[in-house]
Amino acid sequence: MGLAILLGLFALLTVIGAPVAFALGMAAIAAFFYEGLPLMIGFQRIVSGVSTFSLLAIPFFIFAGELMLHGGIAARLIRLASASVGWMRGGLGQVNVFSSMLFGGISGSAVADTSALGSLLIPVMKEKGYDDDYAVNVTVTSSIAGIMIPPSHNMILYVVAAGGGMSVASLFVAGIVPGILMCLLLAFAARTIAIRKNFPTEPFAGLKAIFISFVASIPGLITAIIVVGGALSGVFTVTESGAIGAIYAILITALVYRTLSLKDFWVAVVRSVRTTGLVMVLVGCASAFGYMLALYEVPKLLAHALTSLSDNPIVILLLMNLILLVLGMIMDMAALILICTPIFLPVAVGLGMDPIQFGIMLMMNLGLGLCTPPVGGCLFVGCAIGNVPIEKAVKSIWPFYLAILAALMLVTFVPAISLTLPNWLNP
Amino acid sequence: EWKGWNIHNPGYPVTTALESFIDDVEAKTDGRVAGRVYNGAVLGNQADSIQMLQIGAIQFAEFNLGPIGAIVPEANVVSLPFIFKSVDHMHRVMDGPVGDELSAAMEKHGIKSLAWYDSGARSFYNTEKPIEAPSDLDGMKFRVMNNELYVGMVEALGGNATPMAYAEIYQSLKTGVVDGAENNWPSYESSNHFEVAGYYSLTEHLILPECVCVSVGAWNQLSADDQVIVKKAARESAELQRKLWAERDKSSREKVLASGVVFNEISNKAPFQNAMKVVYEKAFQDNPTLKPLVEKIQSVD
Amino acid sequence: MKSTSKKVPLVERVLDALAFVATNLAGAMIVVLVMSFGWLVFGRYVLNDTPTWVEQMAMLLIVGITFLAAAVGIYERTHLSVEMITLVISKKVALFIECIINLLLAAFGFALAWYTNDLMSFTQFQKIPLLGISESYRYLPVVISGGLIFIFSLYRAYQGLTGLFNPSSKNNELGGQ
Ligand code: NA
Ligand code: NA
Repeated sequence: MGLAILLGLFALLTVIGAPVAFALGMAAIAAFFYEGLPLMIGFQRIVSGVSTFSLLAIPFFIFAGELMLHGGIAARLIRLASASVGWMRGGLGQVNVFSSMLFGGISGSAVADTSALGSLLIPVMKEKGYDDDYAVNVTVTSSIAGIMIPPSHNMILYVVAAGGGMSVASLFVAGIVPGILMCLLLAFAARTIAIRKNFPTEPFAGLKAIFISFVASIPGLITAIIVVGGALSGVFTVTESGAIGAIYAILITALVYRTLSLKDFWVAVVRSVRTTGLVMVLVGCASAFGYMLALYEVPKLLAHALTSLSDNPIVILLLMNLILLVLGMIMDMAALILICTPIFLPVAVGLGMDPIQFGIMLMMNLGLGLCTPPVGGCLFVGCAIGNVPIEKAVKSIWPFYLAILAALMLVTFVPAISLTLPNWLNP
Repeated sequence: EWKGWNIHNPGYPVTTALESFIDDVEAKTDGRVAGRVYNGAVLGNQADSIQMLQIGAIQFAEFNLGPIGAIVPEANVVSLPFIFKSVDHMHRVMDGPVGDELSAAMEKHGIKSLAWYDSGARSFYNTEKPIEAPSDLDGMKFRVMNNELYVGMVEALGGNATPMAYAEIYQSLKTGVVDGAENNWPSYESSNHFEVAGYYSLTEHLILPECVCVSVGAWNQLSADDQVIVKKAARESAELQRKLWAERDKSSREKVLASGVVFNEISNKAPFQNAMKVVYEKAFQDNPTLKPLVEKIQSVD
Repeated sequence: MKSTSKKVPLVERVLDALAFVATNLAGAMIVVLVMSFGWLVFGRYVLNDTPTWVEQMAMLLIVGITFLAAAVGIYERTHLSVEMITLVISKKVALFIECIINLLLAAFGFALAWYTNDLMSFTQFQKIPLLGISESYRYLPVVISGGLIFIFSLYRAYQGLTGLFNPSSKNNELGGQ
């Protein structure tokens, strides 16, 4: 009964449109009340979930990302992408995917990528004769690179949800190959459509232009190297590397690029505060919700249910992917990471999957959910920027979905894609 | 049904003993008191769980006395470096009047302590060299737990005390963010820190007792007979835990030594102990209740 | 922030100001947070004397940032929510449901303030290790946040009600950005 209240109230509140974070919190508190547990402890769980050291890297990455965004780094990366791959078939589509790959290594957030790159690229693509839905679709789907390619604050959430014991650095490194693989498949989809629809190409700008744009974006790219490299080499912990990345971003945009005014700086601060608040209050409420799930031993129950359905690992993995995809379509990524990790990870580990590989699978799966209706942060932002109705975008997005699904299947069933690089670098 | 908090995973000495405690209670009270242990800190970290026990959200738990010191100032006495001469000495002290005095202090804060478990002796380990004397710590970065006494201890020995979350230690040792840390043999082994910090020096500077605790609220609801049963079960589980711990301590030690860890005993601990004078004086200043307790502990043979 | 047209009612101006102060306070905290970590790394490498207060202070600051920003998020309606049902029901019903949600949020905010205030008195004499200040400071921003959530959602509920009974009102607009 208590479990029914917990899950039912959460579902009801979410469906009628209450903020997901507070739906989690209210359902948890209601269950505390029903079980006769002191409500004070319910709220203690919420505060304690926020006051967690490993999560400090999240505001740091968000802050560094915002600073790079407002400090002109995105525009420089697009110039580099344009010079490098713009001459290919469906040039700007390729540029879009490549920019996401570069930029994804800095922002750590898919929605931030969509809004940053989308507002720069979608208008240009429309102007050059690309269909508006194509422009939106390629921007939206390729922004998942922000989650896959390090740093990524969602990966930190995953490590925390998994109960620690996993190296964030290893997970970061593990995301690189799957992220690039996914982008290559998206680029292939973008090219196929571009050929069919006869979209234009850009003239080749020459090696010199590639070189110049590369040099111009180096200081920005170094942010990613500081954050990831700093943690890998042991100069900093992952948490510290986020803060140092943010401090570096302030210095580089204010002093080298000279594109960050005091006003821009404060805009970045306020935007970071806003995003941090949204993500972290979700984490806090999910932690009270997770307390009740643990009391009801839900992870154990679900694991039993899942393994009793089939003993074929392939079937169970496909089933898990399907459940995650459906959940990802209707819910936000951060909440799902926090709720689903303790439930599904033990099952996956029981099947012999490495927790790192599972993490990568989870990221890509939930990333796809960001691009789907009815609830998809990236899709919403992309459609708003491109001024395209969601229904229209969704009608022509399926080749991109297929590309991501193909990448997802490869990640699910070929451990080497995720694990070779971390095993080799052994961070 | 009583809910029990435990930080350790299944199979660990504490876990086995705590589960046997509650099973024993259920059997001997004919089910009037039954409970379940939630392992692996799924219900929250220790600081939060102490509050849960105080308020009565959970009914029993196994706590290390280190973090209890933040709530029960008297309990900080066990966190003074080198306060116990050995694990056996700690047993004699805790099973005697000083242990009762600490129990009484904890009870005032809603924590009814029934029996004392072991967590062995903590020693320094590092990535660079054997530690023989305090001067060996000079300039080295040592991770410590969040407590002024532990920070003060490393600083008094000339090291750089670096508080850090437990989860970050392995990576930090491996990459050199810190040079060393300190813990008992089983934790040194199960955390795999021995893979990355290969010098273990037997300083045994901290011998922290742990307790099986019941919330005072739940305790007061028990009949006098049941209280006797519960207390007896706790004492018996403590005997089991101490035995399991000693075995685990030995097997962990053998395992890490077999893997090539360089281990050394400290031939003369006096320089370390003498360096602690400032730590003790500072502690007495901040918390005058500690002084008589220290004297009582030192008078136990 | 809302545009400040001349006919903005006093209540809304006060709430705007509260949200503004909360946002900028949280902003100052995030800057301090980042800088303190810079100092931590500097202390460890350059001074070989790691500042021991950074970790504990950071965990206080993140609570302050999160809960102040979360309260403002209620006012500005920026929290993530699932807007499926609003697509299939009439505007009036949607407005009614939103009112209920806001009232629930107000109740939640009230409970948040109430019980974290209890936690404040419960932990009053407990010291945060290495900072030496009372553990109750961890809950102070949450009490404030609960109060703000209460006020902000009550006002949003009031706005919704005026919209419900006066369809021509300018407040007759669903939130969400
Ligand atoms: Na990223
Ligand atoms: Na979605």
